[in-house]
Amino acid sequence: MAKQEVKFEDKMKELENIISELENGEIDLDQSIEKYTRAMKLVKECNEKLKSVEEQVSKMVTEDGTIEDFEMENSQQ
Amino acid sequence: MNEDKYLSIGALTRYLKAKFDGDANLRTVFLKGEISNFKAHTSGHFYFSLKDETSKINAIMFASKARLINFTPMDGSKVLVTGRVSVYEATGSYQIYVDEMMEDGVGNLYIAFEKLKKELAKEGLFDAKYKKPIPKIPEKIGIITASTGAAIRDIISTIRRRFPYAETYLFPCLVQGEFAKDDIVKKIKQASDYDIDVLIVGRGGGSIEDMWPFNEEIVARAIFDCPIPVISAVGHEIDFTIADFVADLRAPTPTGAAEMAVPNMNDLITHLQQLQIRLNEAVNNHINKYQMQLNHLKDSYVLKNPMIMFDNKKQRLMLLEERINENLKRKVEYERLHLDHLKKSYIFKNPEVLFEPALNQLKVFQETLQRQITSHIKNRNQYLQYQIEKLEVVNPLHILNKGYNVAYQNGCLIKSVEQIKDKDLSLHFQDGVIYATVDKIEKEKREWQSKK
Repeated sequence: MAKQEVKFEDKMKELENIISELENGEIDLDQSIEKYTRAMKLVKECNEKLKSVEEQVSKMVTEDGTIEDFEMENSQQ
Repeated sequence: MNEDKYLSIGALTRYLKAKFDGDANLRTVFLKGEISNFKAHTSGHFYFSLKDETSKINAIMFASKARLINFTPMDGSKVLVTGRVSVYEATGSYQIYVDEMMEDGVGNLYIAFEKLKKELAKEGLFDAKYKKPIPKIPEKIGIITASTGAAIRDIISTIRRRFPYAETYLFPCLVQGEFAKDDIVKKIKQASDYDIDVLIVGRGGGSIEDMWPFNEEIVARAIFDCPIPVISAVGHEIDFTIADFVADLRAPTPTGAAEMAVPNMNDLITHLQQLQIRLNEAVNNHINKYQMQLNHLKDSYVLKNPMIMFDNKKQRLMLLEERINENLKRKVEYERLHLDHLKKSYIFKNPEVLFEPALNQLKVFQETLQRQITSHIKNRNQYLQYQIEKLEVVNPLHILNKGYNVAYQNGCLIKSVEQIKDKDLSLHFQDGVIYATVDKIEKEKREWQSKK
């Protein structure tokens, strides 16, 4: 499995940190613009990720390590 | 006739009850038997009998104790009970008051469970410091449970409902039976090799024997050693297994585990929207703050009236000028006053007082000098007189008055005849001089002269 570039959770954490920093107001204007730009990028990325998501197919890892799609029997039950 | 010896029923019963209660052996009784005539009263109390092949005893379990048992008792259940035996006065029957009751057969399992739990706790496997944090937004979720049954269905459907974004990876395994524990351990190790954010390990409800694999030591250690955070989800709310104690998080049910594992998508979207609002507000506040500062600076008096800077300098210059003039004037005035003052001063008007001491001194000197000179002259005069008198005494001319004379030749006094070289000789007397001529010289010896 290819490792993902940055985890969603880490993006959210970074975003929350930037907002806290901005809310504290202890940074100068140039920095705040820079942070804002970064934060907006994160918001966009997170939003896109959440909205673009198709329902994932469940997988099953077999005994020998191969990954197959997993269909639940009676999933409608 | 003597009725005193007849007891009342109550008295007898109280006597018997006291006998029962006084017997230490009856205070804690362990009984093994089968339940019959089981009745669960609406109050929560259980009324039943315990019997074996030969005997039978009535039993009561009060609601406070009955609530704690984790199986459903019914007629025919083989049970192990702990309680005390006493007499119920109303019916005069003895019975057992049950404190604890468990299914027989699983009794040994309980002992094993408690023993292992104690050991692992002592070893620190349940310590909070080893609990790994569960990620808030996992993207890949591993599930170790049976591929069929309610558990996997509940977990996957809950995850899909809450957070379709997450990928689920099932590691199918046996969850009951003698091979289950090894299979569970194997799958936990296999899952560790995958890039998984959180692992759910569990199964649905069942009998204590069914759930037993999750009470096995090797399963507990596999969970403890697993590098991925583990959520345990075994059976129902009331079922506690060793796996639950050692897991990083215990879920009451498989559904609960799925809810704990993933956030609600809608909550997340709302949260993200709120973050965006906060971000914009924070930045706007930030910019407004700087804008206000800038406006404030722009509005400042100095920037609006730049000449004010020079005005101030000019004013200051004038002020300094004035002060210099003032100072000068004051200085001159002061000096003049000083001069006037001097002019009016006694010294200035009577400068002689300055010399007076010197003059006095001089006068003293003069007087002293005068005195000394006068005295000196007087001394000298006295000395002179004295010398004159002395001279008078030795004046040879006095001798002349007595008739002697003195002879001179060529201006020299003649004291001896041997001095006579010429004929001319002057003889000086008191009252005049005779100029004579030497005719003859006769030298004579005088005794007295030599004696002298």
